[in-house]
Order: sequence, then structure tokens, then C-alpha cells
Amino acid sequence: MSLTLLFKSLLQRKVITILLLIQLMLTLALVSNSILLSQQAYTLSNQPTGLQLETTLAIELKPTDENLIVHPALGELIQRQLAELRKINGVRYAAFTNQTPLMFGGMNGDVFVPDHAETSSVDAVPYNYAEAGLFDALQMTLLHGRWLSAEDKNTDNVVLTEKLANRLFGQSHLALGQQISAGTVVGVVADMMYQRFASDQYYGLFFNRDLSRADYGYRLILQVESQAVAAVRQQINQSLRQVEPEIDIQHIVSLRQLHRDVFEQERGLAILLSVLSALMLLVAMISAYSHALFHGVQQQNEIGIKRALGASKRRILLEVLSESWLTTGIGVTLGLLASFLLQQQLATVISLPALPLWLPFAGALMLLFCVTAATWYPAAIATRVSPATATKAL
Amino acid sequence: MDNLLHVFALAIRNIKRAPLPYLLTVLILSLGLGMFFSNATLYYWLNHDPLPHKSQTLFYPQINATLQPCDSCTEPLRVLSYQDVQKLSSSGIPSAQAAMFQSAGYARLPENTRQSPTPVALRITQRDFFTLFDVPFLHGERWADNSARRELILSKASAERFFGRTNVVGEALQLGNELYTITGVLDDWTMLPRLYDVANGLNSAQSADIYLPWETAYDLGIKSNTTTMSRDSRNYSDNFAVNGREGDFFQAQFWVQLDTADQVSAYRQFMQQLVQSEKEAGRHPRPEGNRLTNILDITEHFNARNRQLDAFALVSLLFLLVCLFNASHLSLNRYLASQYEFGLRRALGASRGQLQQLILADVAVNAAVALLLSLTVAMVAMALINHLLPATRNLTSWSPAMLFAMAATALAASYIVSLYPAIRASFGSLNRQLK
Amino acid sequence: MITLTNLSKIFRTELIETHALREVNLQVNEGEFAALTGPSGSGKSTLLNILGTLENFDSGDYLLDGKSVKGLSDAALSKLRNEKIGFIFQSFNLIKDFSIFDNIELPLRYRGLKASDRKQRIDQALELVGLHARRDYLPGQLSGGQQQRVAIARAIAGEPRILLADEPTGNLDSLMARQVMELLEQINQRGCTILMVTHDPEQARRAGRHIQIVDGQLHDSTLYQPLSQPLHQPLAAVQGA
Ligand SMILES: Nc1ncnc2c1ncn2[C@@H]1O[C@H](COP(=O)(O)OP(=O)(O)O)[C@@H](O)[C@H]1O
Ligand SMILES: [Mg+2]
Repeated sequence: MSLTLLFKSLLQRKVITILLLIQLMLTLALVSNSILLSQQAYTLSNQPTGLQLETTLAIELKPTDENLIVHPALGELIQRQLAELRKINGVRYAAFTNQTPLMFGGMNGDVFVPDHAETSSVDAVPYNYAEAGLFDALQMTLLHGRWLSAEDKNTDNVVLTEKLANRLFGQSHLALGQQISAGTVVGVVADMMYQRFASDQYYGLFFNRDLSRADYGYRLILQVESQAVAAVRQQINQSLRQVEPEIDIQHIVSLRQLHRDVFEQERGLAILLSVLSALMLLVAMISAYSHALFHGVQQQNEIGIKRALGASKRRILLEVLSESWLTTGIGVTLGLLASFLLQQQLATVISLPALPLWLPFAGALMLLFCVTAATWYPAAIATRVSPATATKAL
Repeated sequence: MDNLLHVFALAIRNIKRAPLPYLLTVLILSLGLGMFFSNATLYYWLNHDPLPHKSQTLFYPQINATLQPCDSCTEPLRVLSYQDVQKLSSSGIPSAQAAMFQSAGYARLPENTRQSPTPVALRITQRDFFTLFDVPFLHGERWADNSARRELILSKASAERFFGRTNVVGEALQLGNELYTITGVLDDWTMLPRLYDVANGLNSAQSADIYLPWETAYDLGIKSNTTTMSRDSRNYSDNFAVNGREGDFFQAQFWVQLDTADQVSAYRQFMQQLVQSEKEAGRHPRPEGNRLTNILDITEHFNARNRQLDAFALVSLLFLLVCLFNASHLSLNRYLASQYEFGLRRALGASRGQLQQLILADVAVNAAVALLLSLTVAMVAMALINHLLPATRNLTSWSPAMLFAMAATALAASYIVSLYPAIRASFGSLNRQLK
Repeated sequence: MITLTNLSKIFRTELIETHALREVNLQVNEGEFAALTGPSGSGKSTLLNILGTLENFDSGDYLLDGKSVKGLSDAALSKLRNEKIGFIFQSFNLIKDFSIFDNIELPLRYRGLKASDRKQRIDQALELVGLHARRDYLPGQLSGGQQQRVAIARAIAGEPRILLADEPTGNLDSLMARQVMELLEQINQRGCTILMVTHDPEQARRAGRHIQIVDGQLHDSTLYQPLSQPLHQPLAAVQGA
């Protein structure tokens, strides 16, 4: 059918058409923005972590007996626990630390180069008090200098992550031997994702130190053979209880789980919006479906006349479809604008990247596809109307 | 009455005659309302005023009293040190004031040494806490004063958990290695949002199990298990009773109740004078950064709004809009399909008023079905939201007032959705339809 | 040009079978004006619908211009309808939302004519039925007789060789009916074959041939007189008359 006739028939049904257009517009705006959010969540959670997410287990625990919470009883307890854990089949390395990578919260402090205190100061850097074994337990990569050894015990010798070393000294290898507010740099390791909400998620400082108190509990990190993860997890509880019953084992988690939790908000919102988008597409499809169905019934007579005048079924189908393509086309065009508007509104509330142009277009195609699919069946039924019956006098 | 029944019978017959379009209309309406209800519920619990009769009198004072000099640090820390609390408590202006922080410990009955102890959530605070936030007592009473004492106040649930009953005033409970006497048991109490703990982003967490005196915690070295900050090089693992009290160790929230505008301005003035004299004494090297924030502004102040939920709320509102448009589109179709019948009725002498009754009955039936369906959708949606955003887990209950509001919304929505179509169908020109 | 041999049509519903046409044999030649009469429910409309390929049949055969329509695809049948056959219905069957012009244009569009060709033909057809001034009206704004003349204009704008009219004057008063009848005669004189269902004996008499249907059977055919020459002429010639 000609475009002018299509427009005429749209104008005839002003209200329905406007309702349809607004709905399509909002749907596209929402769909493209939730794709955007999902994309962002995906990008965020696919940043390199520098960690073995699947094979590293973190145990968070705290003695319930206050006598065990302070040094040296604490250190002695930890060593006994680690010895027991190392006995479990499949455990490759085990070490304690005061904080776990990827875990929200922990001990953070500021760091600066004493000579340039004003310019080099970085606040909220995770301070790791651990032992030499943490290197293997977290499968770190040494970039410059050396890792901490037994003679660094309870000294101020410190290892930095590469990004922090870069931040403080411009180039990471220049950090070696330098004095910083926290101690003397002896080594630089590859970046690991530590605390997302610290000043940078790849900053970290490592000391070889005993824990003097465990008011906030402490953590044991296990590096496990990949095929033994599940089995090891099951035995941890019992092994630890065997060493000392007066402890509260708060969590046993893989770093994979922690990683998931870190991006929980973004992931959650992305999933919610995707569900909502799917619902919106469903609603758009229902609407297209029932619109076509209804008009099939309403226009039986009209279709019958057209058939009698020589329109083939295909032609009628095309007419019905092109009507829905036209409305969808207009709605989608408005929706492109609305997508950018909604992006602006959402960006005032949450952090959201700019909307790339291709995205609403892809959304538009998807919408067009859904609407076509939903229109097809009732439209095909409408073409089956018998022209003889439809043109009969009442 | 007879007429009413007739009208409803007709409405139901209308549904039976064309169940698919009807179902689709109501389904779409319910999807929109359900998503909206689920969000509105979360949004309500996160944003409503938990203490409407006194929220305007509760304030959170902050001073920028860190001893480390820093000229560009104009914003005070979120949490206060023992020294800050001491100074801010000395005005005598507020009608109630209390410092507090959250911690955790292990509790057991003293005779029960064989069994491993139970982890408990602690709130370390002062006696006015219970007045500030209208905390109801079931048995006993709050502490006599703010000095250190081995006395605990229990939540009702903890009393039942440890003793199997609620009236346990005078009983002993062991917390860590220390023995305490129970001096009070609270009645059921939750404050949502938990505005007093927003500094730690814990506005939707559970209330504490056990309340412990502030000075006692400092004596025993019990620290906050949420945000703590130190700005000097003292060793806070050692001799906390002295270091924690004297050092630059920040962990406390502090709330004051200022009943009148005069009290508020007096307190502001007091803070100014305090900072002035501190500066003179060389104990306030940073720029002045006095803040006195009302409890209703505290979430914004600490930038602790759940942005994700805000965004979702915005979007679900749009979704509702789409569903309304869609449903009215469908119901327009539905009404147009029965336009002929409407015309016939009018030709048979039905007045517009009578037709309107028909339509209203239709709306009422729609609203009822949509309400039921949308509550179901809302429950499913909330379960999903809770699953994806665990911080929302305590925010899902419905009060009778909320249910009533939802019913009213459903009615309004289905009225809006049917309004235009009904007018079109019943007031359209007669002759055109019957021709 | 139309040959029906032993054509039968049965309507089957769940409850009953209706033999709408039984073993009908019919021959219609180019240029004839045939009137179909018969009691209500005798199968007149069914016969017309089958002739117009709006309806299929159960047995027998239908040859149009010597070719059987059996087994033709929907697209082929549509093309055939569009090019060779014009319909006039008792209830006019104009499309309400389309203007007079748009209504007449519809079959021409289906044929894929250029806009200028279409316009020329519509103008001619409207001129013929005397409604040129109303080309932008909606059908609802015309009287019944005018609407039927629009329907006739629509049917002949495509210059069909057969015009099928099912009680074209059934909804009109006698004056209007006479106008329509005269119009049809005029069209027939220019060579268009017409089959018309009517209840009016006067009209039946005026037609060159009178076919009666009773209970699905063709009872009586007046002798058909072959015309000496093929009469199909372009519309322009009709107009010129
Ligand atoms: N679509 C149909 N389904 C079932 N029966 C039909 C249908 N159309 C017509 N008939 C029956 O076929 C017979 C002939 O109908 P019709 O050709 O319309 O008669 P008329 O001579 O009045 O035009 C009637 O008995 C009618 O009931
Ligand atoms: Mg008939």
C-alpha cells in the first residue's frame, strides 16, 4: 500500500497510534540503556584481576576465645591451622593475611614519598600484613627486586603492586630501594585487584608481619589444585575445628565468589534492567499481536473488499506488516532520541558511559524484529478471511 | 442492588466473551503495576521518615578536628573520635545526645562453657540512644548514667535465644571473657531506614542484638567493626583504654536532639566557639568544617543513597507508563469491539449514566483482578531484587496502609486505562455504529 | 468466455451440508448482459462468487477464456480478478476510511499502474458515473445511490471484461435503481460482459438474457443469441458514446 494511504489510516486512529508510538519510544529507550548497563557491568567484571579466581580459597575467621585473639597465642594458632590445612589433599599453598583481595573493607592507609609528601600522597591503600607464603598462595608475579623473606619479618620492608609503584615513582623499577612513608621498597609485584573502593583497585602494600590482634578476624588463603577445589572446601571446616574449636569460621569462599560480590550492584542492576527490557519487549509484542489481531477482525470487510478487487494474500499480509513497520519505524525514531535522554537522566543517578550510536540502532532492529514476529501470525490469519463472506450484505 | 448485580454480571460476561484480549490487558497492567509496587516498596522503606514526630529534631554534628594538618581537607571525617564526642557532648544544650558504633562479639551463658559461643551484633552506645530513637523497653530500663558498667541491654529476640524467655533482667551473660548483668530487655524494634548508622552505609541492616555501654567498650578495647580510621601513629592494638580515648582514632557516630530552632542555633554557635578555642589551643590545624546535619538529610550527606535502586525506580516508573499506554490501547480495542453493542443499548434507551455504571463495574472488576495479579508480580519481582541486590533484603514488608495505597493505585490505573476507550465507545455517534 | 461444466458447491458446517450449487452447466459469451434470478438462498450469490473466483468449488470445472481456474495459485487468481473481473455488491462495500478517489484507485494500484495512468482512469470512471465533483468525499458522505455509482466506477476503472453485480440495486430506491441500471446497460453496450443478480422482473427483462436458479440448479436459460462481433472496447469509447 502507498505510504500516503498508510499515513492517512494512522491519522484516522490518532489516539491508538499515539499510544503505540509513546510505548515504542519508551521501550527502545529502556532497551538500549539496559544493554548499555549490562555492557558496562560486563566490562567491569571482566577487568583483569591478576588473581587465580577459581583455585584460590579465602577463609575468614576469628577466635571466639579472647585469649587467642592477641599475639603470640594468635600467631601460634594460625601456624597450627595452616599446618593442618596444608595436609589436606589438593592444597598447594596456604598463608595467612590480614585482608583478602576483592573483599570490601580492610586495613587501608595513606602512602607517600617522604621527600614529596604533598605531591605523592595516595590515601586509602590496602596494607597487607602477611607472611612470605602469601606470594605462592596468591600466585603473584614478581616484576622487580625480590619478594619478602624470613629476614623481613616484622621489619618495614615492603613490596608494592606495579600500579602503586608507578604512581609513586613514575616507573615501577625506580621504586626499588626507595623509602616511602610505610617503609623501604624491596620489590614490585604484578597488579592484583585488591579493594575496588580504595583509591585504586590495583594498589596494594605487602609486609611480612605478625598480626598483633585479630579484633577484625584474620584470613587464610589457600591455593588449591583445580580439580580438588570442591573437596578441599568440604574439609576445611573440620580441619580447622580439629586444631581449635574456639573459633568462628565466618566465610569460606573462592575468590570467584568474592569477585562476583564486588560487582554485585552493577550486575544486579544490569540483570534487573534486562529482565525489565525483556518484559517491555514482551509487552510490545503483546501489543503488536493484539493490535494486528483486533484489526484483522475489525477490517475483515475491508480485507475482503481488497481481496475481491484483486489483492493477493501476500499483498494483504504486506499491507498489515507495513502498517506495523511504519508505526514501529516512527516509534523507533522517537525512541532513538529518548534513548539518549534516558541515558542522560540515568547518568545523573548512576555512573554510566556515553551511549554509542550503534546501540540504540541495534535495539531498534531488535524491536522491529519482535514486532514483526508478533504481527505475523494474526496478520496471516487476517488474510485468510473469505472474501465472499466478508463482502456479504448484512 | 439488583441493578448493581446486573451491572457486575454484565462486566463478567464481557470478560467471558473475549477472554484473550481481556487477559492480555489485565496482564500488561499487572506487569506494570507489579514492577512499580516492588520498587515503590523498596523505595518507601529506604526513604520514608522512621520517626516522623521527632526527625526534625535529630542532628549529626561533625567537626574537622583531625590533628594531621591538611589545608585542602575541608570536609570532616564521617566518624568521630572519642575526643570529638567528649567535646561535642559538653554543651548542655541538647535534650538528649548519644555516641555509638557497631561491633561484634561472642556471647554465651556463663554456666555454659562447654558449648561454643554465639556470634552477636553489638551496638556500643550511651544511655540517651534509647530516648533519641524511641526504643521501647519490655523489661528493665536504660543505664543510670553514661559511666562504664558491666551492664547489657538485650533485644527481645536475643533474650529468647539465650534464655528462652524475655524477662531476664538481673541475669548474667558472658560476652567475650567478661561477665555482664542484664539491666534491660527491649521490645521488638526496627528502625527502617536505620538512619543512625548511615555513616557506614548500613541503613537497611538489622538492629543489634546487644547494647553495651560506651565507656566500657573503650575500657575493654572493643572497637567498631565498620569504619575505623586512625590519623596518628599510636598502636591501637595496645592499651586501647588510653590510646583509643586520647588518640586520633575515629569510629563513632554521634547524635543530638535539638528540640527548637533556638537550640539548633545555640548548638551551632557552641560548635563554632568550640572550634575557635581548639584552634587557639593548636588542636584544630585543619580548616573549619563544622557540619550539623538533620537525620532526614543524612543519607544525602554521606552520599549513601542506593543509586542502583534509584535508577531502577526511575526505569520501573517508565515501565509502568508503557504498560498503562499499552493497556489503554488494548482496552480501546476491546471497547471498540463492543461499540456496536453499546450503540445498540443506547438505541434501546440506556442513558449515558447507565452506560457509565457498566463501565465503572468493568473498571472495578479489572482493578480487583489487576491488584491480585500485580501483588503476585511484585512479590516475584522483590524476590528477584533481593536475590540480586542483597542489601534490600529487609525492605520488603507491606503495611496495611501500603496495601491500601496499592489497591487505590490499581483502581486509578484501571480507571485511567478504561476511561478514554469507554468514552469513545459509549459517546461515539450513534448512527455511525448502527448504520 | 465463461464455461461451467457440472459445477457443484457444497457448504459444510459441523451440523449440515448445504448443496448450494448442483451440477451447474453454463455458457456465457463475451458481451452478454445476463440477469440471474431466483428465490433467496437458491445459490445466486454463490454462483457469482465462484465466477469471480472469490470462492472455490467442489466438483466440475470452470473455464475462463478457455482456461480452467482450478489449481491456480492465490497470486494468479488475484491477478485474474484484478484484471478481468469487476465486482458490484449489494452493500456497495466501499472502504469507509478512504475517499472516493482512493477507493477507485485501489484496484489500479494492485495492478501496478503509474500514478498518472491511475488518475486518468479514475477521472474517466468518475465522469462516467457523474460523481467527479465528489472525488474527495468519504463514502459516508454520499447517498446510497451515489455510493453504488462509486462502486461501479471502481469496478469499471480497471476495464474488466466481466462485471459481476450481486443485487446492485437491492439497497436503493426505484429512481436510484433505474439510474444504476442505465449505467450498467451503457457499460454493457461498450462490450463488457455483465452478470447481475436481481429480484426485479423489470430489470431481468431488460437484460439480454435471463437465468433462473432454484435450489442450486439452473432451471431455465433464455436462448442466447450470439453477437456478430467482439464488443470489448476501451472505456474511452464508452465515454464517447
Ligand atoms: N459461507 C457459507 N457457509 C455455509 N452455508 C452457506 C454459506 N454461504 C451460503 N451458504 C448457503 O448456501 C445457500 C446459497 O446461498 P446464497 O448463494 O447466498 O443464496 P442467494 O441465492 O440468496 O444469494 C444458502 O442455503 C446459504 O445458507
Ligand atoms: Mg445473495
